[in-house]
Amino acid sequence: MIEINQVSQVFQTSARQDHLALSDISLTIQDGAFVSILGPSGCGKSTLLYIVGGFVRPTRGAAKMKGRAITGPGPDRGPVFQEFALFPWKSVLGNVMYGPRQQGIKHAEAEAQSRALIEMVGLKGFEDFYPKELSGGMKQRVALARTLAYHPEVLLMDEPFGALDAHTRTRLQNDLLNIWERDRKTVLFVTHSVEEAVFLSDKVVMMTRSPGRIREIIEIDLPRPRRRTELLLDPRYQKYIVEIERMFDDSGEGE
Amino acid sequence: MIRRIAPLLACLGLLVAWQLASLALKNDSFPTALEAIRAIPAVLGDKDSLVNFGASLRRMAIGFAAAVVISIPLGLLMGRSRAVASFFNPLLMVIYPVPKAALMPIIMLWLGVGDLSKTLVIFLGVSLPVIYHSFEGAKAVEEKMLWSGAAMGLSAVQRLVRIVLPAALPEILTGCRTGLVLALITMITSEMIARQSGAGNILFNALDMGQYDTVFAMIIIVGAMGIVLDALFERLRARLVRWSEPQFDIPLSFS
Repeated sequence: MIEINQVSQVFQTSARQDHLALSDISLTIQDGAFVSILGPSGCGKSTLLYIVGGFVRPTRGAAKMKGRAITGPGPDRGPVFQEFALFPWKSVLGNVMYGPRQQGIKHAEAEAQSRALIEMVGLKGFEDFYPKELSGGMKQRVALARTLAYHPEVLLMDEPFGALDAHTRTRLQNDLLNIWERDRKTVLFVTHSVEEAVFLSDKVVMMTRSPGRIREIIEIDLPRPRRRTELLLDPRYQKYIVEIERMFDDSGEGE
Repeated sequence: MIRRIAPLLACLGLLVAWQLASLALKNDSFPTALEAIRAIPAVLGDKDSLVNFGASLRRMAIGFAAAVVISIPLGLLMGRSRAVASFFNPLLMVIYPVPKAALMPIIMLWLGVGDLSKTLVIFLGVSLPVIYHSFEGAKAVEEKMLWSGAAMGLSAVQRLVRIVLPAALPEILTGCRTGLVLALITMITSEMIARQSGAGNILFNALDMGQYDTVFAMIIIVGAMGIVLDALFERLRARLVRWSEPQFDIPLSFS
């Protein structure tokens, strides 16, 4: 369980003025839940994710994981970034093996696990390729495999499909759901796409434009496993989308 | 084909231009290219001059190696820590524009005319470009890459050695390549000022004695050393940073 208690974040702008990015956020995320944080760009949703990751220290308030205060990054929380952040000097296999090797798993065992993961994310045959040789979608698959490889309890996904074209994004969303449905890790997923949030999540946390506050938490009560083609025809799915889109419009906070 | 022989053609063209210029000028202190080339075997065949070359190369190797070993960690630390950068930057800015050979007379007063002074001057000459490029390389390392490493459990020191160093390696090696050429230059100039042994010593003794063919033979030899050293280093560099080479820039298209 992740608990975020009254977290606020103040940044200094380059003009040396204080900018309130997050204001008084409190949120609890249950184990095994797929939770999306949805909001317009600049609402601090990524910052919230970085606080849970331990990459950024909140100005006020605190985040806890399993009752213990988060003071820094750790292998229990695995990030996947929009920028992929792969190690360019390592091959696909080298990237995926990095975490397990760091945790002291023997080379042969780490390699076997990593090869299986690479196959799972659909990149069999690309083990010896370098990140530069891969397309954006493939890079993000590697990044996901690299993070899954060290078995984090929570996946922290920071607009992971934001830099990809629509077709690639759809395929990766489907594959992510398939992978997630196998072991149901806790996922905290940041996005600005309403459809993406509704399609993937159990719960959508809607944020307001800056300063970021929680505006509404919407439970997405749709059956799993979810199939995109079925959902697109499902009036409940459509209703969620329209409802959330309206909230954006109401407050003039649409993009 | 033309691309491969182009450098040879350039060298040949230079020699022809030299030959013609010297024939036209008919100046005693400007031997023809052929005369200079004919003097090369005499220089290289002489045991004394080989000892001199050995001494030069030894100082150059020690100065270069010491500079690289100290400058890379310093540059990387400066690139990742603002405090370290603010401390060293002003110092480096003072040293940067000073020709290192100009320090030679002062250093000779302190350390004598022996190896130590010359090696120190080479060390100073090599250090600055290596520090500068390591600094720039480390500064440019993506924050998210370091976060990914931190999440895998890498400590700050491990991140510096195992992420910042390899990620900045292409830039570092660019600095080393500049440093290598500067090592050759400072090697010759230091020997010009503190004439005691070395290639610069042969060159300037010959100049004093009016043996102009030997002077120009030495210039050819030093130039050739520069080309060979640079070519060797370039091969090493290409092997070390194969993953960042431009031929890898065309990504596969596959989602």
